[in-house]
Amino acid sequence: MSDVYRRVPETTFGRVKQLVSEFANDHVRLVLLGPALVSLLVIFIYPVAYLVWSSMQRTLAFGVGAEFAPTANYAAMVEDPTFWSAVEKTLTYSFGSFAVSMLAGLVIALALNNVVRKRLRDTYTTLILLSWAVPLSIVGVTWRWMFNGQLGVVNKILRDVGLLSQNFSWLANPDTAMAVVIMADAWSRIPFATIIILAGLQSIPQEMYDAARVDGATTLQTFRHVTLPYLRPSFFVAGLITWMFAFRAFAIPFSTTGGGPASATEVLAIYIHRFGIELFDFGFASAVSMFLVGVTLIVAGIYVNVILEQISEIEA
Amino acid sequence: MASKDLGIEQYRRRQRFWNVVESPYVVHLVLFLSVFFIVGPLAWELLTSFKTNQAVYNLTYLPREPTLESYYIALFDRGFWRAVVNSIIIASASTVAVMILGTPAGYVFSRYRFPFDNLVFTFVLFTRLFPPIGLVVPYYRIMRFFGILNTRTGIVIAYVYLWLPLVIYIMRNFFITIPQELDEAARVDGCTKIQAFRHVVFPVVLPGFAAGTILTFLYSWREFLFAFTVSTDLSSMTIPVATYLFVGDTSIQWASMAAAAVVATIPSALVVFFFQRYIVVGLTGGLKR
Repeated sequence: MSDVYRRVPETTFGRVKQLVSEFANDHVRLVLLGPALVSLLVIFIYPVAYLVWSSMQRTLAFGVGAEFAPTANYAAMVEDPTFWSAVEKTLTYSFGSFAVSMLAGLVIALALNNVVRKRLRDTYTTLILLSWAVPLSIVGVTWRWMFNGQLGVVNKILRDVGLLSQNFSWLANPDTAMAVVIMADAWSRIPFATIIILAGLQSIPQEMYDAARVDGATTLQTFRHVTLPYLRPSFFVAGLITWMFAFRAFAIPFSTTGGGPASATEVLAIYIHRFGIELFDFGFASAVSMFLVGVTLIVAGIYVNVILEQISEIEA
Repeated sequence: MASKDLGIEQYRRRQRFWNVVESPYVVHLVLFLSVFFIVGPLAWELLTSFKTNQAVYNLTYLPREPTLESYYIALFDRGFWRAVVNSIIIASASTVAVMILGTPAGYVFSRYRFPFDNLVFTFVLFTRLFPPIGLVVPYYRIMRFFGILNTRTGIVIAYVYLWLPLVIYIMRNFFITIPQELDEAARVDGCTKIQAFRHVVFPVVLPGFAAGTILTFLYSWREFLFAFTVSTDLSSMTIPVATYLFVGDTSIQWASMAAAAVVATIPSALVVFFFQRYIVVGLTGGLKR
């Protein structure tokens, strides 16, 4: 591959330099991609292997030792009612957050798409993006503070308006605690849903709307027959990602309620953290992790297929 | 489409309703309410942070005597400033590492074919979608084994795992938009393949590179799970962890916690204000383009 006409360097350093650059040129894939793949192998595949291995080890008391028992943890997990209750809470949590953030995202995106002046639209977008950028544990402590029983601003507003006669302990009641956690989660996910849906809306050709108008369609009909079909791919992607990331959420529920009251908001991620990090039952925590990974990978498989399809559309 | 089966009167009546829904007043009302919902909690933290830890019990909306005392308590009495330093170091270091590793990798995926290339790319996507919570326990134990629990290095390593696949993916999508003829022209002009990448193609995707950098920095800045698991030590913990640790106190110092939250949020907010467009580009980077 090396260039015939290239001047042969005189110094040793120059020769080494040329050799290196020739090597890089001949193995460009290896040189550019190698470091990233090797890093991923070390910092991803190794821990994953460790996870699989440790899910098949029964942890002895206080995490000081382990014995090989390939199915013991899984059996314990399936038989444990607290595990299934964590699964149920995770489903409530993830679907709740999914519903709220997708609905709000759709409404906000439609509204943003109707703002004619670009400057104004950008300003709104910036303000709405704010909650996305807030560190996740700050989201949690902020909502914890707002819904605090004695000092929370929500109780104060409700009392000043006259909707409440006395303070209500939002985070001490299992149902309202779950609702607050879901709202906090959706609060930080709405911007992402909005941005993706808005991008989908903006990809719809204006001619489609003009044609619908000429045909005498009402706004609702235009929405149903023009907007929705075009929106489906981006809505699907936004929804899948929103749900998938809500399903594994840790920081927001953990910092809002810590899983309480009495494990009413203890989603799988908190459950894993409690057993693995606080109680040192690594084997059991790894088995539960494997369950969470399995569910995610099935959903991720759907997502990756969609993504690869879209990419081949673009490359065609 | 539909006016055939709708009488013209009925159509007008229905459309009048939708004209109201679509009118600027309703659109802006919806947006005002949304912005209030998004900004309200942040504004409340900001107002709280100007009160003292005692004044919080007075239950006023506005701080009666605005003061920076809570900031002082959070930053200096509790040593929170060290978490600020840690966060800046960790977010910068992991952003640099991820961009250096991920940009060339994205370029290769956009240009070259090699054995199992689709499989390798799918692997990268799966790495991105893999739930990090599943790796928390292995990471904790591996890091304990190597003695890097409670160090910044440990957190940076975890962040490279978290964001590298994302950056590879985003950068690949940006590189794909650049026609391959550009590389070929550079090669004809005597560039090596590496030079063609570094001096010709890379400058063209600089906006995309900026988007990737900003996104990685923000993600590192706001991450909690790994930072919390790997480090709860003042010498290496990040701002989100330090703010969360207020919760563990027997009586929570709400105003100081709010001050800490404001300190943690300001850099993110500034990045959003100045780089909103890049963030939007980065977030939608994987979709239609």
